[in-house]
Amino acid sequence: MYDIAADHGPALSAAIVLLAFGLVFLRLLRFLAGRQAGWAVRFLEGFDAASPMAKLAAALMLVSGAIHLALVPGHDGITGILFIVDGLGFIALALGVFVTTWWRRPAAIWLSATIVAYLVWVIAGWEAPDQVGIACKLIELVALGLVMRLKNATHAAWPRRLGRVTALPLLISLTTLGIWIGGLVHPDALHAHAGAVLQPVASVATPEERAAAARLLADTKASLTRYQDPAAAVAAGYKPGPVSDADPLLHFQNQANARAVLDPIRPQALVYARTPAGLKLVGAMYQMPRVGQWGPDPGGPLTQWHQHEGICFSPLGFEFSFETPFWTCPVGSGSITTPPMLHVWIIDNGTSGPFAAELDKAVRRELTGRSSP
Amino acid sequence: MNQATPTESRLEIAGVLVVLQASLSLTAGLSAIPFGIVEPGFRVLSVVTIVVAVMMFWLARNLRRGRRWAWGGLVTLEVLSLTITVLLTLLPIGTIRGPVPVLVNLVIPWAVLVLLALGSRRSAGPRLGPADL
Repeated sequence: MYDIAADHGPALSAAIVLLAFGLVFLRLLRFLAGRQAGWAVRFLEGFDAASPMAKLAAALMLVSGAIHLALVPGHDGITGILFIVDGLGFIALALGVFVTTWWRRPAAIWLSATIVAYLVWVIAGWEAPDQVGIACKLIELVALGLVMRLKNATHAAWPRRLGRVTALPLLISLTTLGIWIGGLVHPDALHAHAGAVLQPVASVATPEERAAAARLLADTKASLTRYQDPAAAVAAGYKPGPVSDADPLLHFQNQANARAVLDPIRPQALVYARTPAGLKLVGAMYQMPRVGQWGPDPGGPLTQWHQHEGICFSPLGFEFSFETPFWTCPVGSGSITTPPMLHVWIIDNGTSGPFAAELDKAVRRELTGRSSP
Repeated sequence: MNQATPTESRLEIAGVLVVLQASLSLTAGLSAIPFGIVEPGFRVLSVVTIVVAVMMFWLARNLRRGRRWAWGGLVTLEVLSLTITVLLTLLPIGTIRGPVPVLVNLVIPWAVLVLLALGSRRSAGPRLGPADL
């Protein structure tokens, strides 16, 4: 669903390094304070007097600052400049926790503004949501929650108290929604339909790849002729999967073929459409044994594998929904990622072609009378 | 700088993390509602998830009020959550992939448990300031 962008990986290391540096910095300060350096003594007094909550808020802002600064090299223009400003601002606020009494309001504003700016960038398509960005927002949301709790508003009137109670949950919900909208409105080239990630391949098929793809289609068609009748498939060891109201297709799987790799004689699953006239064989599904293990693609971009990620699977009724960007699922369901799969449609699959991740919508509607999902 | 004692502060941190977890659960429950249109099981799961989220908000509030039962309820929930996550992680279904699921499903529940344990050990009972959640 959300991966780690190639140029974002070092940011995670930078955050860990900065925290380690922070510990060394503290030891150095204690050394300097022991030698009566006035500013070191003042800083340490503030540090020692701060509660664990304030210290954690400072540490989280420091982490966010480090992540932003580490991301600068991969971001040009205004985004890069804002990352520098944001990173330095967070580091200044983290230090301000121990030397000022007025840091909370600026910190709350800075954290909120950073989260809102991220959502604007993601929804506008100027930044793709990835796990580093989402983890950073999570850290900032925790920091904001801590800063809000540190504010003493015990005697505030009820509208203000209600605002304080609802502000953080509301911001978390909006952040989730914003990241979701950004990801759906601006999917990257490797995301097909929601929840499916495509195998990276070259953009143009060579003549050899075209020939290999045609051979795979012909071999699969030839192999599947014996399974037109679902009873023959069952006799050969294929077992029908659970029937879902949401899916007009029915997969018959054969565990005995689990280790075969793109073998037309032994496909992992047969796909039947539930038509008004009964089950109609429409294709085969090849599947690799393990998550993240892309299969051979003899047809290059024509035979592109895909794996489903970010799916909440409920064994109660065998149903699926989508995970939130923060990787949470409804109670009673769990996050799953399927091993890569390649469909070969033996019927005319319209404009989508014989190796599309899904049955063409028009074909599906024509066969089953339904267009979802 | 602020008035909370270290013990109170730990429980306050736990409370903030539980509110975060509750908010994430709430969004998970709300986001499953559209799937309930075609998948009847998710109608039930989304409602259950929203109820659990509301319960977590309530437990966080009462933790700050110093209620022992809220402390116990949260420990139970977090242990359950961590156990399920660890069991799912052992299966080859790619449950934990990347920093976000690690933070949300492992680090935060573990941190809440540690904070609750520390908050309990250092005081006779969580006695916090006024409940101003």
